Amino acid sequence: MNRRILLLAAFGLVAALVAFWSPPASGIPVFARKYGYNCTMCHSAFPRLNDFGARYRMNGYRLPGEEQKERTVLESPPPFAARVHAGFDYVNSERDPQGQDVTRFAVTGFDLLSAGLLGQHIGYLVVYPPSLPEARGIAGQQGSLEMANVVFSSLGTRWLNVRAGRFEPAYAVFSDKRRLTFTPYLPYEASFPGGPPLSETQEGIEITGYQFSGFSYAAGWINGSSTNRLSDFPEDLYARVAYVFGRGEGQTSGQRLGLTGIFGRARPQAGAADRQRHLRLGADASLNYRQLNLELQYFLSRDQGPLWGEGSEVTTSSGSAQLNYFPMTSLAAFARFGLLLTPEEIDSDAWQAVGGARYYFVDNLALHGEYAYRSQQLQGQELRAFEHFATLRLDWAF
Amino acid sequence: MKWVAVVLVSLGGLIHAQFGFDGPLPPVPIPADNPQTDEKVRLGKQLYFDPRLSADNTISCATCHDPKTGWANHGKVDTGIGGRTGTRNSGTVLDSAYMEFQFWDGRAASLEEQALGPIHNPVEMGETLENVVAKLNGIPGYVEQFQCVFGTAVTADGIAKAIAAFERTIVTGPSPFDRYLAGEKDAISPAARSGADLFNGKAHCTSCHSGPLFSDQSFHNVGIGMDRPKPDLGREDATKNPADRGKFKTPGLRNVALTFPYLHDGSERTLRDVIELYDRGGIPNPNLDPLMVPLQLTASEKEDLVAFLESLTGVLPEVELPELPGGAQPVAGPKSPEGGER
Repeated sequence: MNRRILLLAAFGLVAALVAFWSPPASGIPVFARKYGYNCTMCHSAFPRLNDFGARYRMNGYRLPGEEQKERTVLESPPPFAARVHAGFDYVNSERDPQGQDVTRFAVTGFDLLSAGLLGQHIGYLVVYPPSLPEARGIAGQQGSLEMANVVFSSLGTRWLNVRAGRFEPAYAVFSDKRRLTFTPYLPYEASFPGGPPLSETQEGIEITGYQFSGFSYAAGWINGSSTNRLSDFPEDLYARVAYVFGRGEGQTSGQRLGLTGIFGRARPQAGAADRQRHLRLGADASLNYRQLNLELQYFLSRDQGPLWGEGSEVTTSSGSAQLNYFPMTSLAAFARFGLLLTPEEIDSDAWQAVGGARYYFVDNLALHGEYAYRSQQLQGQELRAFEHFATLRLDWAF
Repeated sequence: MKWVAVVLVSLGGLIHAQFGFDGPLPPVPIPADNPQTDEKVRLGKQLYFDPRLSADNTISCATCHDPKTGWANHGKVDTGIGGRTGTRNSGTVLDSAYMEFQFWDGRAASLEEQALGPIHNPVEMGETLENVVAKLNGIPGYVEQFQCVFGTAVTADGIAKAIAAFERTIVTGPSPFDRYLAGEKDAISPAARSGADLFNGKAHCTSCHSGPLFSDQSFHNVGIGMDRPKPDLGREDATKNPADRGKFKTPGLRNVALTFPYLHDGSERTLRDVIELYDRGGIPNPNLDPLMVPLQLTASEKEDLVAFLESLTGVLPEVELPELPGGAQPVAGPKSPEGGER
């Protein structure tokens, strides 16, 4: 253990020194490059959006109020960017057959990204993590089109915008793709066996409408829990409403409250004749005070028993609370607690605690330190499984 | 701090890309129908400082656009003849030659058009153009110069062109920030460097204050005065378009530290006050620019922004008061409270 701590400390020191004396990243990601802005124009701490960035996204990748001046991808710098994070991971699992014990340096994430405007009211976003084979120093990742969507914005009014393709649905209230932590939100991971976690991007169509610093809505129809996405008729629907009190969009200022509902019908197993209903209702809040932000979310799910291999309806609840602190542009700190409660017959309660910080050498290069602890009841076992996760990574986008 | 330099160079990239770096600004655009000549500039300078352009012979252009106060005025709003006050703060003449619109509401499209406005504004110089032309035609020294420069007697058009020609010489030289961009690493303080980074990022300033003048040459509603019972409608007055309600021209920020107080109504006394206003996200109103969001700046970040804005003060043009034809004394700066010495 001492050797591991020494390794971790040594890596931290080396990473800090290398980053401090190395040349700055040679570019800035796609939207910042288009406008010549620093990343902090839209991100309170990349990848998390600030209120300005939230408005930019809501407005279909157009500067609000400046739509007439926008340039398409053909009139802008090449609309390509990448994000990579690499560092030292320590994972120690006890009593979890699916768990792993890892202590290594690794490249653990590599995304290629393209985004921009195809026309005045047509934006697009593509995120593609290429396939990386497991190799020494590389954790490996499956290639997939994580996101590929087109957004038709302001179709006559701000109250009608349409996003189609593969995207992160609006029910991921605190974007899983732009979260500050590497540890996922526990409530998003919770699902009936084989069901889609909320952190997963989905194919489908979503309509949205909004008023800046006010009411917004989203509704979508997605593949979701289809067991065979090539042939199953999509039967997952969701809707969300949110309201911002005060100024801002609830990211770094203003107080945002939201309600979310997800309704779907899924087959317990691929090929099963009957679909079973699953329902999830959620409430969330993003509260801001000066440089502090508190994210709260709660989900109550009620699924028909066969989805869990049970005879009667299964009710679970999950939630998380995360406190973010942005004392200066170059520093973000976070702490989160997550909880999943399941009924006695499922017996898979879990809780999670996460803490850490990100230091930004420049807007697009962060040194990320994080520790997470997760404890989970394993169905039918007397003792709980737990996992320690610590990581120190460099996270950069260019 | 290499990365900070890169960010700053990116911010100044437009200047470099468009103009090279002989100076911070490109050559002044000169309209085809009003070419610059030394004689015209000299005449324009005399007119600029001449109080006889006003009804009671007390107010000159330089009363409100005083070289000693950044070619603007430290009063909250204009004070004209008889102590009458306007509703807007005097904008600086410095680098105004580059602005595509003149006046806070942009109602004048050129310096020539702007130059005559205050003369017949009842709360500024309060004179009629006919009277001014007649007065100046009675001063042989002016008649002679107008003949030389325009080949005519004194005309309103000639007055406008001469003053505009003079104002096109009121251009600033490199600021410490320009020198920093040009490679002089110690030209600005670390706080100013940090402020520049914020300016183009978290503080969202460049979404409007962009380009060599730090102005997008456009109009925005940031809510100033919109919480009053009878707000200044700003750009709407010029365009009659309700969508322009409460919008005012984005002022350039070169030499901004010299031109307090700030905003179209002079309602903010210091740069720090202005930053506080933007940090709050402006003043809510139905037409508030959607670019305006609260910024959550820390106290030290606000100080850094002030340091950056102060680093935009360039080399000012040196102008001596001219000798006026007909023995009048040139006037610059506001009247003293006693109405005597200026």
